[in-house]
Amino acid sequence: MSQAWQFYIATLIIYAFVYIIAASGLNLQFGVAGIYNFAFIVFQAAGAYTTAVLSLGPAHTGIQTYILGVHLPFPVPLLVSAVVAGLLGVGLGAVTIRRLRADYLAIALLVVSLIATDLVTNATSLFNGATGLSQIPQPFVHLTSSTSGYDWLYAGFSGLVCAIVLIAVRMIIRSPLGRSLRALRENEHATAALGKNVAGMRLFVFGVGGGIAGISGSVLVSFTQAWAPSSWLYGETFVLFTALIVGGVGSNLGPVLGALLVPVVLAEGSRYLPAFGAPTLVPSLEWIAIGLILIVFLWFRPQGVIPEGRRRFSKDWRAVAPDAGLRNLVDDEHPGLLTR
Amino acid sequence: MQTLALYVGFGLVTASILCIGAIGFTLQFGISNLFNLAFGATMTASAFVAYFCNEAGLNIWLSLVVGSLSGAALSYLLNRGIYVPFRGRTTSLFTMIMVTLGVGLVIKFGIEALWGATDFSYKMTAGRSLHFAGMVLTTVQVTVIAIAAGAALVMHGLLRYTRIGKAMRAVAVNERLARNCGIPVRIVTDSTWLISGTLAGIAGVILVMDVQVLNPTAGTTIFILMVAAAVLGGIGSPYGAMLGSVIIGVVAEVAAGFLSPAFKDITSFVILVAVLMLRPTGVIRSVASAKEVAR
Repeated sequence: MSQAWQFYIATLIIYAFVYIIAASGLNLQFGVAGIYNFAFIVFQAAGAYTTAVLSLGPAHTGIQTYILGVHLPFPVPLLVSAVVAGLLGVGLGAVTIRRLRADYLAIALLVVSLIATDLVTNATSLFNGATGLSQIPQPFVHLTSSTSGYDWLYAGFSGLVCAIVLIAVRMIIRSPLGRSLRALRENEHATAALGKNVAGMRLFVFGVGGGIAGISGSVLVSFTQAWAPSSWLYGETFVLFTALIVGGVGSNLGPVLGALLVPVVLAEGSRYLPAFGAPTLVPSLEWIAIGLILIVFLWFRPQGVIPEGRRRFSKDWRAVAPDAGLRNLVDDEHPGLLTR
Repeated sequence: MQTLALYVGFGLVTASILCIGAIGFTLQFGISNLFNLAFGATMTASAFVAYFCNEAGLNIWLSLVVGSLSGAALSYLLNRGIYVPFRGRTTSLFTMIMVTLGVGLVIKFGIEALWGATDFSYKMTAGRSLHFAGMVLTTVQVTVIAIAAGAALVMHGLLRYTRIGKAMRAVAVNERLARNCGIPVRIVTDSTWLISGTLAGIAGVILVMDVQVLNPTAGTTIFILMVAAAVLGGIGSPYGAMLGSVIIGVVAEVAAGFLSPAFKDITSFVILVAVLMLRPTGVIRSVASAKEVAR
């Protein structure tokens, strides 16, 4: 394979892992807990920014301005990014804890996302304005000298992070907490009446989902080596929502499939194709496709390609595997989030 | 003082555009219980229809009429062709908001795919500058304010004194009760979408007449300001939308004038978030409470 093709494939793989990480974070918030977080992309951007300023050296005035610039070694920026984005999530969750109707809250969060873009673009001293940051150091650059070797190494690293995140999310979904979160999604009042701490669970999901988004942003920015507010506009949130709806909301594998189908194939895949027509034609066609996919899937297959499995419980309420084949089980007949 | 009056003048122009759109948006929420995120794209589409009429030789005022009618037609078709069928299938709030979003994306980027991300403008002059109480406004801007005031008055008359207007208010507060009282909900809903679509069309065209730039994203930012105005006034309430528009419009322009243009959007967004936290039902809360936007 030529150098360019290797770069193309490795980049696509890394983007795929980043989107899978982000989609599973959103799946935890939206698919499992039923929170319409229309500001999701802000947390990815926050994680990316944290990684950028922690791994960059001190700011040289004249080139770009930013805070910190402490040049920390590899795993620290990634971990701190997750914590910062998670805390940001808890903070925003606390702000929106008032019981707004779900779509009303979604509008509020959409506006938060717009404010964030506006603020970052105009706060030049903090974020270097619309230009953003560049020359962010690569974490493993000392391990290999060949460029394509590095790309493949990084692809492997992002795959590892992705696997860890997926396992963590799976553990949460399968835990008793995950069951409570699904209860929260289906009927908030009933959940509260059963003595569950609804506000606490919301904050938890905002925090963990935000942290996962931060991780995805961190992994992405260490590879692209550049950060700009225009890469994280509110529209990107809807790309992830579309990915979830296509893949399957609430299921374990849905976000993985959705992230591969929607953002990777559609948005990133065409980015490296030869352009035709006016320079804005291909991106606008992509957005039209996103809009049509949304409408078509919500009409014909709202449960997605991989629907959330029906969960079965034995009589003492222990979860049993769906393929256990036992007939006399208590069956929670939940019809799914989107088909109610 | 002089500069304050100047910015208030600009604020009134912005408030006028916001007012027309916010009334339309809030009526749609009231009647159909959904946040129509395709509203901004509808405005842009109507402004483009007016542009092509204008290019074809129609004067700007006739183009405004055609543009607003196209907004009515588009909104009616969206509701009947897409939103109502989805409503028949699902009660999920998320499905509805995502459908309106998808429709908005298709319209907005459909325009961009067809005509490119370039700037257009109408063949018109802004007119001479008029000085009044420290405000400096062009004839067109004064006309924009007059159109908004006229639209607000017409809406007031419609909602207070006509059967259809009263029926619209009744359906907004309690659709089932209205239906049981013999109100033909379908006809009322269709009329509401036609009226609100007309308002979207007018708002889109006069926005471009004011800022003199038309591109595929023309309606996007101002639409969010309209949402802010509608929520501040109390979502679902046309009078709230008028009140909210005046507050948001004037505050945004004054902040832009005294601080920096960037604060135009930021201040109004901050107002919106504050309202959502402190009094999510807005100032006039009848419809918002009926729809349980906050518990």
